[in-house]
Amino acid sequence: MARTTTKDAQALFQSLRSAYASTPTNLKIIDLYVMFAVFTALIQVAYMAIVGSFPFNSFLSGLLSCVGTAVLAVCLRIQVNKENKEFKDLPPERAFADFVLCNLVLHLVIMNFLG
Amino acid sequence: MAKKLSFFIGISLVLSLCNAFNPDNPSGRRILVLLDDFAIKSSHSLFFNSLQSRGFDLDFKLADDPKNALQRYSQYLYDGLILFSPSVQRFGGSIDVAAILDFVDSGHDLILAADTSASDLIREIATECGVDYDESSMVIDHISYAVSETEGDHTLIAADDFIKSEVILGSKKIGAPVLFQGIGHSLNPANSLVLKVLSASPAAYSANPKSKLTQPPSLTGSAISLVSVVQARNNARVMISGSLSMFSNRQILSIKCPEGWKLNKKSGNEQFLTELSKWIFHERGHLKAVNVRHHKAGEGEEPGMYRINDDLEYSVEIFEWSGTSWVPYVANDVQVQFYMMSPYVLKTLSSDGKGLYSTAFKVPDVYGVFQFKVEYQRLGYTTLSLSKQIPVRPFRHNEYERFITAAFPYYGGSFSMSLIDYELRQ
Repeated sequence: MARTTTKDAQALFQSLRSAYASTPTNLKIIDLYVMFAVFTALIQVAYMAIVGSFPFNSFLSGLLSCVGTAVLAVCLRIQVNKENKEFKDLPPERAFADFVLCNLVLHLVIMNFLG
Repeated sequence: MAKKLSFFIGISLVLSLCNAFNPDNPSGRRILVLLDDFAIKSSHSLFFNSLQSRGFDLDFKLADDPKNALQRYSQYLYDGLILFSPSVQRFGGSIDVAAILDFVDSGHDLILAADTSASDLIREIATECGVDYDESSMVIDHISYAVSETEGDHTLIAADDFIKSEVILGSKKIGAPVLFQGIGHSLNPANSLVLKVLSASPAAYSANPKSKLTQPPSLTGSAISLVSVVQARNNARVMISGSLSMFSNRQILSIKCPEGWKLNKKSGNEQFLTELSKWIFHERGHLKAVNVRHHKAGEGEEPGMYRINDDLEYSVEIFEWSGTSWVPYVANDVQVQFYMMSPYVLKTLSSDGKGLYSTAFKVPDVYGVFQFKVEYQRLGYTTLSLSKQIPVRPFRHNEYERFITAAFPYYGGSFSMSLIDYELRQ
């Protein structure tokens, strides 16, 4: 039983990998950006767990900036992906402009809340 | 000429009356002395004269005089009371045990002397003050007795076990033992306000000299107190003595020649009683604290509120009554606490020699409502209990450092997010 499950997991992993290799490069870059944002968020949570939450506003703004940009990047990826039927008529430049504008607003709020 | 004279007499009379009602003078001047009979007035005249020479007005009355009154229209007529009436069964006039205890409770002083003939009334007053007289037996000491020509039963004893306090008994050491003939009393060891000023020697015991002892005496040795004082929490002072004859001229002037001693010396009664009566009537050891001030370091006026981690300075002035005027009190153990449920800061105040005590410290890193507390209780001195409340607030939002070191990772994280955006734009 165990041997078949590991073999199944390995087979699943291999199929995921091969499917992912065929995605376009710009989507891969956005994925990398999301991973980086989530990784930064995790580092900040770990730091707070060690040191304590003294400037709590700074902690929240740092965390929220990571989470916010990750969410916006995911939105960008959805809109830019050519296989997505819903956003067929949306030019990718428009999606990217939306992404930049929302990021500006987000970082305005973050800088103010950072203290 | 006569007009000028009467004018001056009138002015001096008014001024002397003003002195009597001066609230700033803690040694009151008027003392009521209650006696069993007026023979005591002459047989104890040396003691009374020493009081009168210090400026006290003594008012001698019989204890059961129906015109006696301690207060009239709820104003006290006297500032002190001396009870030299051991055998009185019932006080006359409006005086009774409750009135005497109210008198002490209102801050006035009392000297109480008992005898073997002490009535239940006197014993009751003593018990209310914290002192238990022994049951009508005298203090006998077969080793430290005074040799005299009449008494042979060793009830006139010579005691020199004094309390070690310069405030109570004066700075000069009492050179000779004190002659004592009377009953002893015991103190409750749990009572912290009663002090034994003169205790009997370890060889003394309390028994009836005329009958044979059937069982060992219950009160023996240094547990017998011959003279005690009580300083109440309102700083009223009470002296309780087991012998009326201790105050008498005969024992003050008597030359004591005990066995085994080399030279005859005058008994120590006069010095002992004079110094102790000075303490009882607040001529020594009475403190007052004025001018409690606190301010931020560098500023002059008292703020309504401090901030955490402020530097502040606290000062207080303490004076001692010398009998005629307030002199600065000098000590090196007065402490101030910065207190909120428990002292966060405890500092010893430094004195400048003229009665000004001051210190400086930093407000702790806790906010809340604090008190500056000075609790000063020393043997023989009045208790000083000062307390001043002051709130302490935390930082306002613009009083923190501009860039908090602990938050640098968060700064770094959010800046990296915004910078990567610029990267992505390319």
